[in-house]
Amino acid sequence: MTTTPRHSAPVAAPPTDPRQSPVRRALVATGRTLQYAGLPVGIALVVGAIVLAATGNDPLAVYGRLASEAFGTPSRINATLAATTPILFTAVAAAFAYRAGVFTVGVEGSFVLGGLTAAVIGARMEGVPPVVSVLLPLLGATVAGVLVAAVPAVLRALWGVDEVVTTLMFNFIVAGVAGWSVQAFFQERGQANSATAYVSANAELPALAPPGQTSWGLVIALLLLVGYAVWMRFTTIGFEFRAVGSAPRFSAAQGLRVRTVLLIALLGAGLIGGIGGGAHALGLVHRYTEGFSAGFGFTGIAIALLARFNPIGILVGAILFGALNAAGATVQLFIDLPVQLIDILEGTVMVFAVAVFTLPRLARRRAAAKRGDA
Amino acid sequence: MIDALIASGLTLSVPLVLAALGGAIHRIAGVVNIGLESHMLTGALFGAIVSGMTGNWALGALGGMLAGAFTGWVMSLLITRLKGNEIIVGLGFNIAVIGTIGYVLRAGFGVSGTLQIDGLQRLPKIVIPGVHDVPILGALVSGKDPLFWLCVVLVPLLAWMLRNTRWGVRLRATGASEGAATSLGLRTLGLRDGAGLIAGALAALGGVALSLGTVGLFNENMTAGRGYVALAAFYFGRSRPLPTALACVLFGFFDALQIRLQTVGGFNADIISTLPYVAVVVVLAVTGIRERLTSARKVS
Repeated sequence: MTTTPRHSAPVAAPPTDPRQSPVRRALVATGRTLQYAGLPVGIALVVGAIVLAATGNDPLAVYGRLASEAFGTPSRINATLAATTPILFTAVAAAFAYRAGVFTVGVEGSFVLGGLTAAVIGARMEGVPPVVSVLLPLLGATVAGVLVAAVPAVLRALWGVDEVVTTLMFNFIVAGVAGWSVQAFFQERGQANSATAYVSANAELPALAPPGQTSWGLVIALLLLVGYAVWMRFTTIGFEFRAVGSAPRFSAAQGLRVRTVLLIALLGAGLIGGIGGGAHALGLVHRYTEGFSAGFGFTGIAIALLARFNPIGILVGAILFGALNAAGATVQLFIDLPVQLIDILEGTVMVFAVAVFTLPRLARRRAAAKRGDA
Repeated sequence: MIDALIASGLTLSVPLVLAALGGAIHRIAGVVNIGLESHMLTGALFGAIVSGMTGNWALGALGGMLAGAFTGWVMSLLITRLKGNEIIVGLGFNIAVIGTIGYVLRAGFGVSGTLQIDGLQRLPKIVIPGVHDVPILGALVSGKDPLFWLCVVLVPLLAWMLRNTRWGVRLRATGASEGAATSLGLRTLGLRDGAGLIAGALAALGGVALSLGTVGLFNENMTAGRGYVALAAFYFGRSRPLPTALACVLFGFFDALQIRLQTVGGFNADIISTLPYVAVVVVLAVTGIRERLTSARKVS
């Protein structure tokens, strides 16, 4: 047996040269964004177009329809933002951990257990004063999210146990435990599939624009996004996150708190994912059912990678995927188009978001040339 | 009762063993294959379609295997040539391939989820006369399909090949230290792609065992996370063929036991289904802690 290889950060932070002028830097940044985000999205659209054309659909017409279904009217925009909310949470969670070079895929599990906990507590909030009736379920969701991440976090920080596989395994463990506990304790009578009771009315997160489904959950998600940006940019521990993420050995040698960073990165991702699940339960579905998370944890990973951890990029990416999800659900009604098209696009984006688009030989030659200069 | 349990436990192990052996080979070459689920599903679908078109199970299995080998190779190329992170590429590949299969089923075949194919030939059951009625022994060796016997041959064969052949040694060298292997002139990327191709092919045969083995149809949920259980198995078996296969048999028996206990009542299927994953966390924790205690302090 070989030693377990350490996973490096999925993408390295691009170097910036402070000597460049602001305009030049902005241009370079735009070019990079196009390369990092535009190329994966472009490839995904081409792959989707090939699948569409192969099944006798006109790709351009379908994409046009998707766009108008996503942003055509205020009510469609509202639906898009409602679909954006859960994946904005999971994207922030993933970005938070990945920035520290910690490679969790367990946000999905935190999201699911957070949602279940919030739904169960929320159903018992009858007669509880208004603000507390929302905060208590959300607090429960937060604790649940952290608990899901706790074992992998401790194993990683203290003994260096590979977090990727443990967090992946915990997703399945959580799915099993959640399914079992619903059937054993929280099953609502008269429901065919396993589902909990609806949360009481005063525990629901109110809608932002009433007939639409976008709730205050979006506001919480945006606050967390801002918090993430501030954390990474302006705090000491945020600096340590970035340092550990880009150069773990160097950071340890410099006396940075590597263990603390690893622990906080994993627990924090679980915490944010848990709140996301809670907000999803209280704000949109109002209960926990089987299939509560439509792979939101994994979509969040795709968004975080696509945005290269940039807060504005995360927001744009979440809206993009939210639009796809919202439009995909209704486009089905007009043209006979299976929703799985969204999965194809999302999966392709994920694959190519981490790909390095330089021919290896070319890159080597370039590196050699650079060495020659110096 | 015990005969039925043994027989169904072994039957349920076959897809796992095939997929896990594939994953183990890829792992030995240095790639953690998260995409086993997608390869299995591809194999199950193409196996069913080809078997339906030709009315021949062997051609069906071959077709499924080739389709899975292709997906395994493509996924490996994305990891080795485009330097994509193996975990993300694997997860994304799973989502994209499973989405594509679901999409094509609905748009191309007009069915939602389950594809029934006329003229599909299922895997034959090989009944060994004389032994068949012997208790326990009969359940162990008789009434099995060809893929079961493939597993029986494959486990020692792979163990021997990894230990003794040039390919096996080079594969292990690639996984142990890519830099050293490259400096010795090995084509590490090519070796990895080859391992990916084999992983896809074997996992796809596991899928074939599902679609052509027990039920004789294709369902887009038929793998039901078996690709991840296989992942758990080769972690459990530390990528060695025999322990990996034994882990699969253990998980297969859990599965059979769970089905049986469910009908009798009492145990919850959801809880039992988490056992393989819990086992992997425990194994990783124990080996990780032990490694950390015995070796010199390393930078995390």
